[in-house]
Amino acid sequence: MSRPHLLLPFAMLLPSLALVIWIMGYPVTDLMRMSVHAVNRFGQAGNFVGALNFSKLFADPLFWASFRRTVIWTVCVTSGTILISIPVALVLSQDFAGRSVARLIVLLPWAVSATMTGIVWRWTLNGQFGMLNALLLQFGLTDQPIEFLATGEVAFPVAILIGILAAVPLTVIIFLGAFSSLPGDVFDAARIDGAGPLNTFRYMTLPLIRPFVNIAIVLNVIYAFNSFAIIWILTQGGPANSTDILVTYLYKVAFQYGKMAEASAMSLMMFAFLLVFCILYARFAMRERAL
Amino acid sequence: MKRISRLSLLGISALAMSIAAMPAFAKTQLHVIVAHFSDHTLTTFQNAAKRFEAAHPDVEINIEDVSWDNLQQRLATDIAGGTAPDISVIATRWVLDYVQNDIAEPLDAYIKPEFRSRFYENLLKPGTVDGKTYLLPILASTRALYYNKDLYAKAGVTDIPKTWDELKAVSEKVKAKGDGAYGFGIQGKEIETDTYWYYPFWSYGGDIVKDGKSGIAGEAGVQAANLYKSFIDGGLSQPSPTGSNRQDIETLFKQGRLGALVTGPWLRGQIASEAPKLNYGIAPMPSATKQLTWGGTDSMMLFKSSPNKELAWQFIQDGIFSTETRLEFTLSEGFLPVLKEEMNDSRLANDASLKAFADMLPIAQFAPLMPQWEQVVAATTAALQQIYLGQQDAKTALGAAATQIDGLIAPQ
Repeated sequence: MSRPHLLLPFAMLLPSLALVIWIMGYPVTDLMRMSVHAVNRFGQAGNFVGALNFSKLFADPLFWASFRRTVIWTVCVTSGTILISIPVALVLSQDFAGRSVARLIVLLPWAVSATMTGIVWRWTLNGQFGMLNALLLQFGLTDQPIEFLATGEVAFPVAILIGILAAVPLTVIIFLGAFSSLPGDVFDAARIDGAGPLNTFRYMTLPLIRPFVNIAIVLNVIYAFNSFAIIWILTQGGPANSTDILVTYLYKVAFQYGKMAEASAMSLMMFAFLLVFCILYARFAMRERAL
Repeated sequence: MKRISRLSLLGISALAMSIAAMPAFAKTQLHVIVAHFSDHTLTTFQNAAKRFEAAHPDVEINIEDVSWDNLQQRLATDIAGGTAPDISVIATRWVLDYVQNDIAEPLDAYIKPEFRSRFYENLLKPGTVDGKTYLLPILASTRALYYNKDLYAKAGVTDIPKTWDELKAVSEKVKAKGDGAYGFGIQGKEIETDTYWYYPFWSYGGDIVKDGKSGIAGEAGVQAANLYKSFIDGGLSQPSPTGSNRQDIETLFKQGRLGALVTGPWLRGQIASEAPKLNYGIAPMPSATKQLTWGGTDSMMLFKSSPNKELAWQFIQDGIFSTETRLEFTLSEGFLPVLKEEMNDSRLANDASLKAFADMLPIAQFAPLMPQWEQVVAATTAALQQIYLGQQDAKTALGAAATQIDGLIAPQ
């Protein structure tokens, strides 16, 4: 009697499992195969070379520089996004006139692709014809146009700000969901007990939305780590590789230099890195709450 | 993901091809891929195919045009899937990959001396590997100096600069009297940043590769880099060139805010449609100890895998390189001719600005063929950007790049 009940959930999982294996499994095994072979520009695999592609990569200073920058980029974009999104969502969850319009304005950019965001900002930031420089000059804040994208020291922080801007809408949606799920009676009780807004936020709201923060962190880390369009469109990783992150460098290695095998090795490592991060995060941060 | 979409694409195209092939049972099929140069490209080649088919009733030619962004990947997919075309347009600098992987058919056995003599001889060089001709050029372009006549008049410039030193002196005048215009545009971002620097580099007698080693860190390289750096530091170029790609400096020129820049023949068409009032002239590339200009070609390749190579060659020789087709292509695309006879046509001979570029064909220099070319470009570009930004001096930055390039050139 009990057997069909035991098997049924697994049977129902089977189709989606098959789909995941088909969509994810094939490219990953293909990447693994390519990463240990010599592969020409036409994707044709040659001799087995073992770990050679990986050791070439480890010896490449640009790979390590991109890796370091990817960590900075991911940490800054993720933390910046969450720090901005929580207060924005908090405001948008209050009842005020025009709330739906305000929500729409905050969420609309989500409908714009990262590519378009990048192109718009590239034009806005242009030193000679850009809107931002026109404004700065007009208000007398600068007497010379600023070339925002001409040096890595300026371009990279600017790219991070744009990355945050692009990630905020989705994160706001997550937190809007979080705030609407908060139990109202507990907060009423707290108010009666005399808790001020700061204490309420610190000791009640934050702990209650903790699982949502965790989800937002994982989603944003994955998004930022793999986000290609913004940096590629703004600077193509330049000048002199000073804004390259792993995905932009990966694109160059694969499609400009035609080194498919090294590129496969690199994407495998990125995949492993993200996988390990997500598993560890799920184990530590998310389990903590369950206890 | 990529593999899956490739597979399904293959499936669809195989299906489409088998359907297309059905009614033409008895006819020999030729499959030709051309790059999409403009909306007229496909028509030009289809006209050539129609004329060829009329002379050879047993042949059917399918012409397909593919955008430049997709061409390399499309051909790679076709080659891997065993459905390569018989003939294709490729970017000339790709030739080594196709030769080393035994995909390109050497053409010397097909080319008759009288056919070869119709070409500008130096345009055949870039498609030659180890003494064998693999590619035939279908277009050429050179670079020349565009200058703004109004700005030069305002600055009191009467003689068009012939050397880099004169260009610098003229740029000083434009800076002084040009109402905020910049003397000379320098490209420091994205594709062809290195090319923009080869112009003075070659003029000072430099060689990108000399005796199997990188030549960029030699005296000519340092001189050329310091020349551009002096433009930047002196306010003679637009500020911070590492923020400007080719389109950016071309836009400055179209807006009349740039005294001069070096670029190819395509800018004439853009100015005609976007800034028709701009009063400009075209002059030969400035010189130093030598006068050279950058030359580029795109080419036709015959696939070794083609089952009908003789016929495909017939179409190349009598169809694609017929005077009629060549003229239609050159006139509609605005590039330079590759056959000497084309310049006999009055429409080309009387086009003064095109002639300015065509006159430089004999002194056109081409990028050397090497398997790691794109990485050489990346290393050179990064070094130049560090110099332009003032992070490193010319000798140090170019020296480091040259060491890196030597490692790429050395047989592995």
